[in-house]
Amino acid sequence: MKLIETLLNGLSIGSTYAMIALGYTMVYGIAKMLNFAHGDVIMVGGYMIFVTMSAIANPIIGLAAAVIFCLLLGITIEKIAYKPLRGASPLAVLITAIGVSYLLQSTAQMIFGSAPKMLILLDLGNLEFGGLKIPVYTLVTLGCSVVIMIALSLFVKYTKVGRAMIAVSEDKGAAQLMGINVNGIITLTFAIGSSLAAFAGFFMLLKSPSLTNTLGAMPGIKAFTAAVIGGIGSIPGAMVGGILIGVIEAISLTIPAIAPYTDAIEFLILIVILLVRPSGILGKKRREKV
Amino acid sequence: MASNLKNIKWKHYVNYVVIAVLTVVFAVMSLTGSLSSSSIYMLEKIAIAIILSVSLSIVVGFLGELSLGHAGFMCVGAYLGGKASVLLEPIFGNDILCFVISIVVGGLVAALFGIVIGLPALRLRGDYLAIVTLAFGEIVRSVFMNSSRESFGGSLGLNTPRYDKNVLFIFAFVLLLICLAVTQNMIRSKHGRAITAIRDNEIAAKATGINVTKYKLIVFTISSFFAGIAGVLYSFSNYTVQSTKFSYNYSIEILVMVVLGGMGSINGAIISATLITFLDLKLQTILTGDLAVLQDLFYALILIILVIYNNAPALKGFREKYNFKTVLTKLKLKKAHGPGHVNDDEAKWDRVPTKINMDEVLSVDIQPTSHYTPDKPDKED
Amino acid sequence: MKSIFKKALAFALVATMVLTFAACGGAKNYAADNTEFVIGVSGPLTGPAAVYGVAVKNSAQMAVDEINAAGGLNGVKFKLVVTDDQHDATKVAANYASMLEGGMQVSLGTVTTAPGLEYTNLSVEDNVFFLTPSASGDDIPKNDNGFQMCFADGNQGAVAADYVNGLGLKEIGIFYKSDDAYSNGIYEQFKDKLDDSIKTVEAVFTDANDKDFSAQITTLKNCKFIFMPIYYTPASIFMTQAKDTVAADAVYYGCDGFDGLAGQFEDFSIIPQEVSMLSHFDSNATEGAPAEYIKKYTEKFGADTLNQFGASAYDCVYAIFNAMKAAIDAGEKIDVTISPSDLCEILKAQFTGDFSYDGVTGTDAITWEDNGYVKKSAVKYTLKTANSAQ
Repeated sequence: MKLIETLLNGLSIGSTYAMIALGYTMVYGIAKMLNFAHGDVIMVGGYMIFVTMSAIANPIIGLAAAVIFCLLLGITIEKIAYKPLRGASPLAVLITAIGVSYLLQSTAQMIFGSAPKMLILLDLGNLEFGGLKIPVYTLVTLGCSVVIMIALSLFVKYTKVGRAMIAVSEDKGAAQLMGINVNGIITLTFAIGSSLAAFAGFFMLLKSPSLTNTLGAMPGIKAFTAAVIGGIGSIPGAMVGGILIGVIEAISLTIPAIAPYTDAIEFLILIVILLVRPSGILGKKRREKV
Repeated sequence: MASNLKNIKWKHYVNYVVIAVLTVVFAVMSLTGSLSSSSIYMLEKIAIAIILSVSLSIVVGFLGELSLGHAGFMCVGAYLGGKASVLLEPIFGNDILCFVISIVVGGLVAALFGIVIGLPALRLRGDYLAIVTLAFGEIVRSVFMNSSRESFGGSLGLNTPRYDKNVLFIFAFVLLLICLAVTQNMIRSKHGRAITAIRDNEIAAKATGINVTKYKLIVFTISSFFAGIAGVLYSFSNYTVQSTKFSYNYSIEILVMVVLGGMGSINGAIISATLITFLDLKLQTILTGDLAVLQDLFYALILIILVIYNNAPALKGFREKYNFKTVLTKLKLKKAHGPGHVNDDEAKWDRVPTKINMDEVLSVDIQPTSHYTPDKPDKED
Repeated sequence: MKSIFKKALAFALVATMVLTFAACGGAKNYAADNTEFVIGVSGPLTGPAAVYGVAVKNSAQMAVDEINAAGGLNGVKFKLVVTDDQHDATKVAANYASMLEGGMQVSLGTVTTAPGLEYTNLSVEDNVFFLTPSASGDDIPKNDNGFQMCFADGNQGAVAADYVNGLGLKEIGIFYKSDDAYSNGIYEQFKDKLDDSIKTVEAVFTDANDKDFSAQITTLKNCKFIFMPIYYTPASIFMTQAKDTVAADAVYYGCDGFDGLAGQFEDFSIIPQEVSMLSHFDSNATEGAPAEYIKKYTEKFGADTLNQFGASAYDCVYAIFNAMKAAIDAGEKIDVTISPSDLCEILKAQFTGDFSYDGVTGTDAITWEDNGYVKKSAVKYTLKTANSAQ
């Protein structure tokens, strides 16, 4: 009973990480860059929902507005901050991503102030199963992440654009020679990644209704860890990694002696997993170089 | 013999001379009491930042491995060096001796951790190594954060002795010079060439008989040793050491210094560490009250613009047309070099494109079915 | 070749630095050219803790404006300087030095405890008086130049333990933040003073996992009384997530960090449990000085940054002002160019003497102990009664 409860808590925590990790892994898989600003796009999505909700109190419209706004924001960021650096050292892009992250955070503070905004989107309540209470938002978040995961996998595998994405991620030069618009594909990747961030923002708010300008920062890092554990670039891997991190966190938090060290334990497990499987659980196996 | 003296590449030593002269100047100013406290704090911070960025630069810029855990090594150094000093002070009662021992202790323990983290570096590359180093930093931070009040102070932080600020920064600069001497000599030696060879092509380096394992461990050890020393200095420049400071954000801040300075350029790392620390402190102290929110905004904008300006391939022509050198040439302050000029400075790797693009390296797959073999189609799917 | 230019650039850079650094130095009175009394404070104006710093900045500025509008101290006006430390102890030294060199004569210390520990040690070097509104660490007033307007964490923990001991409970839950000085400080004293007969169930969280409390809620769900020495943002998240899981007749009991909680909810009654706190200020006060302050603050800055940090800062400015006035009345000479150290001696004598102050966070003559701790009454505020009780 206790174990089932803990696992359910793990699913609850993990489903959010999985949701965020999907966006991380999408961008990394295609554009090959660590988008440190991803967590902050989530935050922007959250504020967009907040703004829309204060005008029209409908969470679905809020989500739609956030998705559109984040999509446009993602394209803008890509055009201004990342595109000029295509062909430069990937580290340079990493640094601009950090710059963008600071920029989004301070802009949000300037517009919305430093006080947390409380926003209760929907009260979904609990489902009861023989004494077990399962919050509905856990199920919804989990369900949506699975749907998004499947949709992304199908999209990447079976559509023309999706296959072009794989081509770009494998070899940009060759993809260009095959007539693929590499720049267009990467922009599209960012657009998709950013709209996924808006979804993540929605589900984060659904669970924890307090909105600040650092909303996405730490969950972003945790989700990134999850994506790496799962094998960064692998869409199902993000899901697996996210759930795994969530379950580890829930177990560790339940044991009083190690609860304060939860973060350390998560990262320790990350290191162990990477040492055993250097490219993550579901990552592409590459032969060790001679 | 005179020609030998002429052949010494003075420009290799300019950075020592500049820093040494400045150290003397500031030391005199400080001891005569004409240096304000805020300047002293800034100098302390600049010295620490330079040690950190130079020591990270040898991992990122020369070995070509991305490390996001530099603050973790610093944290180890800060706590253990600080603790050593707390324990030693009643025994020795001698500030200098206590200081030196603490520095060594902090540095060595951090170096030990460097070896521990260097080991996975043999197996992991690129972003995976980056995330392992990040994880290491967070683990260290979390452990110190939850330590007991008696051992390392827990969430209240460890109270460490605060050495006389008028003198401490001079020691910091001396340590900085040592750090510079060690790293620069290593980079310019055959070992340095081996390290950059590993960066440029690990397989080729291995094939030429370079002991990749050894060099990777050496670089990680030296880098973390100096990060540890920077940590000890940090703990002496504050009354308390609080582990919240050493989050991944701080590692990223150090990485920014290295990248802005130009990958594989020690002098670049020095200059950008100085500039960023200066800028950071000035923004912090000038933008007060309602303006404080602009700090990060300015910082972010400067960061983005600088990185794009420095790195964007599209701006290459513009950069070459309007850089410092050409302007000087135009002003006839400097003789222009003809097109035939060959840059013979071994220590200058910044023209070599840095290979952090791990996928290119990783995709050199030896499997016969590899889709990289041009004449054989991929049979896997 | 580029490196030569970099070096030249570096040289030019440091040369300019030498010149800028050489500007001033030594132990001199930076306030000698002041035309106004300068009050300095360092707090988090950006970053995750910004809401507390901003509340202090707003309230202190409001108090300074009021004092100035009323003619200042014998015609001399006050000026407030607020620097941003982002809740980071390493930023404090630079802030402190720049404020001191900018002519700061008296200070409100820091807003939060972690940077405050650094500030305590720095300010004693130059003997600068500080009265901190909200840095509640037990060590903050350890030197004789430091005073607190808020309750020290240890005291809060002890008082809360006293209260809980009197309730006759068998088992209580404790929910605290393990990487936070404030939360830990209260927790340790609380545990120490709590009757051994009371069983505790503990759950913790850290900065890195403060968005989803499902694991902690499962641990605490059977507790009828949960002590929560945490700030109101995580508390609001916890309560929202736990509202159906924790028993509806349970009690959430917090310390002054809870203040501001009610303002977070549009409709507080969605939380079925009772919420109460032990504090020196209640943001929902409807009468007396607190209500007046709340009205003024809300009109000027809106309600979302209203909390006890601000109220306490408002009191600090007035307490310092009143103490200066009392000192002048007692025959001390306070000039606009008085050095921080001289002013510190005067204020120290006042605060450890029979000076008392009636304010927003204590309406019945706040006084200070010789060790810098504040002496005022802590009140148990019931922010919300249990829904089932209505």
